[in-house]
Amino acid sequence: MRLNVYALCLALLVGATSVLSGCNKGGGAGGKRIGVTLLTREHVFYKDLEAGLKEAADKAGYQLIVTSGDMDLAKQQSQIDNFIVQKVDAIILCPADSKGIAPAIEKANAANIPVFTADIAAQGGQVVAHVASDNLSGGRLAAEYIAKAIGGQGDVGIIGQQEVQSGLDRETGFKEEMKKYPGIKVAAVLNGGGVRDKALKAAEDMLQGNPNLKGIFGINDDSALGALSAAESGKRNDLVIVGYDAIPEAVKAIQRGSALKADVAQQPRDLGAKTIEAISKHFAGQPVEKSIAVPVKIVDASSLK
Amino acid sequence: MAPRPRYLQWQTVAEYVIVVAIVLESIFFAVYAPQFLSLPNLINIALSIAITGILAVGMTAVILTGGIDLSVGSVAALAGIVAAMVAGSSAPGAVALAALAALGVGLAVGVFNGVMVARFRVPPFVVTLAMLTICRGLAFVVTDGRSISDLPPGFALFGREVFLSVPVPVWLMLLVFAAGWFVLKRMTFGRYVYAVGGNREAAFLAGVNIKGVTLLVYVLNGLLVGLAGLVLASRLGAGVPNAGNQCELDVIAAVVVGGTSLNGGRGSVIATLWGAVFIGVLNNGLNLANVDPYTQRIALGVVILLAVLADQLNKTRGQVIA
Repeated sequence: MRLNVYALCLALLVGATSVLSGCNKGGGAGGKRIGVTLLTREHVFYKDLEAGLKEAADKAGYQLIVTSGDMDLAKQQSQIDNFIVQKVDAIILCPADSKGIAPAIEKANAANIPVFTADIAAQGGQVVAHVASDNLSGGRLAAEYIAKAIGGQGDVGIIGQQEVQSGLDRETGFKEEMKKYPGIKVAAVLNGGGVRDKALKAAEDMLQGNPNLKGIFGINDDSALGALSAAESGKRNDLVIVGYDAIPEAVKAIQRGSALKADVAQQPRDLGAKTIEAISKHFAGQPVEKSIAVPVKIVDASSLK
Repeated sequence: MAPRPRYLQWQTVAEYVIVVAIVLESIFFAVYAPQFLSLPNLINIALSIAITGILAVGMTAVILTGGIDLSVGSVAALAGIVAAMVAGSSAPGAVALAALAALGVGLAVGVFNGVMVARFRVPPFVVTLAMLTICRGLAFVVTDGRSISDLPPGFALFGREVFLSVPVPVWLMLLVFAAGWFVLKRMTFGRYVYAVGGNREAAFLAGVNIKGVTLLVYVLNGLLVGLAGLVLASRLGAGVPNAGNQCELDVIAAVVVGGTSLNGGRGSVIATLWGAVFIGVLNNGLNLANVDPYTQRIALGVVILLAVLADQLNKTRGQVIA
């Protein structure tokens, strides 16, 4: 009996391993190989970014080795170590920690592998190019939209994610733009961790603590949708919530006339395509811009029609 | 030396310390945040701990047996997603079926965890860690990483409706705490749970069905995880694949801050309620006082450490006297 259980476990293990390793095969043997370590695969944004990368890489004939750091710096460092051992031709990186990733980039530099960052910048090491949405201007667009919608008067809050540079940039852009409106006070800045359940709790506390709150800026759509859940259960449909990323669910919420009024739309597929474009240029020996900003725009019910 | 009175004495002391800590932090926040003591905010605090609280009752029982369940957040997310999928279908009675589906997912995982721990004696840490990643993975696979929204209005019942001025999740949490207290303190099965975690050999020699008790604890815990997942999805208005991430840490913190021993055999559901209230008040107060998010993390860690330290000092002093 005991032996049978062991045999079964072993058989399952062997089966599972062979299925998993089967997934890693395939892809052209002759083309350039590019190692990718995404921040996560658990956000729609990164799925779209991955799709944009893949599409452009297929066209250019590159083989992508896509991994996810799962927001874990140590994991990402070991993924980069693996890329160096595999002698990839380039590395695309969305750092889990902008500063902490520097030593790993330096290792890649020492191995003469060009490093490109997408979406989130690194601080330290030699990066050929950083491709990202213009997060400061995205924050500004959100602030301008809320300011106009609430008539330039009242308290507003931010559901942020202060661990991530892009989140901080959006927050900074928002705060800077709001300085132009003397009647508006950024009364609360809370951390929603960029995920919906934590953002919901933060927004509920924000609503309790600031009775005059008129608007909330969520630095990504999960933050904004969490705030929307709080607004809906608190019967606060008068709030003006602005999100960031324009994922399909947020777009639907805007279209149905909820308190989520507008979204800053990034173009993650463009971001992926531009990153591959920069790599192609680099491979061809052409000069590449150090910082490539992919434009963002604001969308609301009228522009989404 | 009869073990039961000494244990009761320890428990009374533990609950006393945490209640004093709650009163102290409440006075502090009442001074720094004018909205803190308002009735809507107190209800808001209760709502914010509802899901953690429901999970913490099951976790208390699991920890009392000397086990742990790291999978609660992932399983709750998966249960919420399955509930959202069922609710979103146009089947008759979809909302009731959705509730059953969420409980079913929790039950199934509970049975699996329980069998692995009780029958095959795999360490609970390992079994539930594996379930944590399996269920989180499943949550992303079945949704393709996108939330399940567009739910019928009736699905709001479990998370957003209000009954007698108190949100439904809070009622559910109070019911679960009452049931947990009754089962663990008034039923023979509950006393066996303490016995299994307190002294396994003695319990075995006394004729307690250790495997059966352990299995049932994980199964009941699974049902509560399913319920929490249902409330979570209803609160969010969607089945969200990354919901409840790392919430097992909040749940374990509530249990431990309440004074339940991670070694098993000692603690109580009421102590866990105080633990959850303590952490809920802390999170809410720091947000209301507009403490910046970086500092909040430090404060949270320090205050939890202080609470457990005070509890530990009291406990060891009690033991020296005994």
